[in-house]
Amino acid sequence: MDSHQASGEAIRVMASAVTVRPRRPMGFWIAKGAQYGMLILFAVFVLVPFMWVIFTALKSNLEIAQEPLGLPPNWRFENLAQAWNQGKFSRYFINSVIVTVPIVILVVSLSCLAGYGLARLKMPGRMLIFYFFLVGLMVPFTAIMIPLFYILRDIGVLGTYWAMILPQTAISLPFGIFFMRAFFSGLPYDLTDAAKIDGCNDFGVFRRVMLPLAGPAVAALIVFNFMGSWNAFLLPLIYLQSDKLRPVMTGMMFFTTRWGPDYSMSMAGTLIVMAPIMAVYLVFQRQFIQGLTAGAVRG
Amino acid sequence: MTDSIRQFFADRKLRDYATGYAFVLPALVMYVVFVVYPFFYTIYLSLTKWDGAKPVKEFVGFLNYEKLFADPRLWSALSHNFIWIILGTLAPVAIGLFLGVLLWRGVRGMVFFRTVYFLPVVLAPVAVGIIWKWMYNPQFGPINSTLRAVGLDVLAKGWLGDPYLALPAIILAGVWGYFGFCFVVIMAGLQNVDMEQIDAALVDGANGAQRLWYIIIPGLRHVLTMITAFTLILGVNVFDIVWITTRGGPGRATHVIATYTYNTAFRESYVGYGSALAIVMGLVSLVVSFIFISIRERGGD
Repeated sequence: MDSHQASGEAIRVMASAVTVRPRRPMGFWIAKGAQYGMLILFAVFVLVPFMWVIFTALKSNLEIAQEPLGLPPNWRFENLAQAWNQGKFSRYFINSVIVTVPIVILVVSLSCLAGYGLARLKMPGRMLIFYFFLVGLMVPFTAIMIPLFYILRDIGVLGTYWAMILPQTAISLPFGIFFMRAFFSGLPYDLTDAAKIDGCNDFGVFRRVMLPLAGPAVAALIVFNFMGSWNAFLLPLIYLQSDKLRPVMTGMMFFTTRWGPDYSMSMAGTLIVMAPIMAVYLVFQRQFIQGLTAGAVRG
Repeated sequence: MTDSIRQFFADRKLRDYATGYAFVLPALVMYVVFVVYPFFYTIYLSLTKWDGAKPVKEFVGFLNYEKLFADPRLWSALSHNFIWIILGTLAPVAIGLFLGVLLWRGVRGMVFFRTVYFLPVVLAPVAVGIIWKWMYNPQFGPINSTLRAVGLDVLAKGWLGDPYLALPAIILAGVWGYFGFCFVVIMAGLQNVDMEQIDAALVDGANGAQRLWYIIIPGLRHVLTMITAFTLILGVNVFDIVWITTRGGPGRATHVIATYTYNTAFRESYVGYGSALAIVMGLVSLVVSFIFISIRERGGD
């Protein structure tokens, strides 16, 4: 029996030299267990705060005081309805949509145009203009936020949605142009030449040939900018101070501050804000991950 | 005849240029009006004393900058940014690398783990802040409740109210919200690591640490510099989580340069001095970007 095992071991060692996978049964299972143990540990680290937000949102304050840990004794979904109504969340969500949609459309279309122009069209000073935009990647919003307030006031847009749409679009352009220029630079020139021979002008080439090829890059840029302006906080905190204009992020902050000691209400409000984006993420996971890591993975 | 042909080409060239500029112009106008012009305006404001309301901005030269050097609140805010940069870069990159290597060769449940780790990344920093403010709640927050439930009442404390614990506590929240990003980017980078080298190293008897240090990390060089740059810049600019959880408090224990600037310019209405702080922040950003670019140039091929 022993010699049998020994020869089995010898065969395994020889086999491992060939397949280059030394596996010893006990060690293998211990390693496997440790591997899964660590993976699960971090999954728990991520999920526990989510669980407690959900549990707290669905308890009454008395239940939170008596039983801060654990499942809600009664699942009070009416908390969500109450927070929705008292927190004016319908207003906040509509405001977020009203500012985010134009921002995404403007950033993506202007970035495509300028990115294409800087990648493929001849003009004097092309590289200079490109570097001029790149400098913008290094300017943090904080460095321009103070005078912007007075500029927006003087051109008369403070107190309207434009007070967020214009600056958020502008600060998003350097990255968008950088990203789209990199994409358009990588496309083959044969396509352009062929379309030109067929009688397309530059705009025609851009719209009919290049833009349709840019689908994945445009999708990534849309996700990136949607998340950027939906989640923006400091910018609306400064420029959209009126409660009527407030988007979800600052609205949620004011809600949780106002209902601070009312834990179940403020957690219900938080859950209302988190839930839609999480649901969309779970459905469009791949697009989300590609969009949000676009800058890092490509660069 | 030749003249008219030459003329035609000259015009055509001009027309081409005009087309090029037409593509770039709309973006350029937005960028100049709402980024470049305000930046120079900030420099101008930083040389004035102004409360944001008076019609006249009093020009004071470099007075604000002289005040900066003697301002302990600025130095404490910058030191908090520095701590944030160090911990907030090392921890998520290390966790991302660790999990990336664990999941590298494919594991059952791979999609599940990736989905979960990336989940906090889609949340707004505001939501991350609110969630962790609740986690740290001294009375009913899950952390203290758990400690009490297992009899460790001594360890239960007001995490965000303690000047020494507040900053690390917020950074932990930031790491929770961010490590999934590093993980996904590192996973993408691992696809490019040469498997044959790993196999060769295995034959030569390299252990796990040696394989990590000599093959995997050099193979991830570009990815690692990229995410380090991202986390560095996040560390300089961090605002949302701090403002939501502590507003810079207790005392000034968690103020970072962005919260200090915002507070000075918009809540205390020292617009001139706030602008000088904003310029400092711009310079710090520039230095950090520059360091990153030079590291990248040197680390590149």
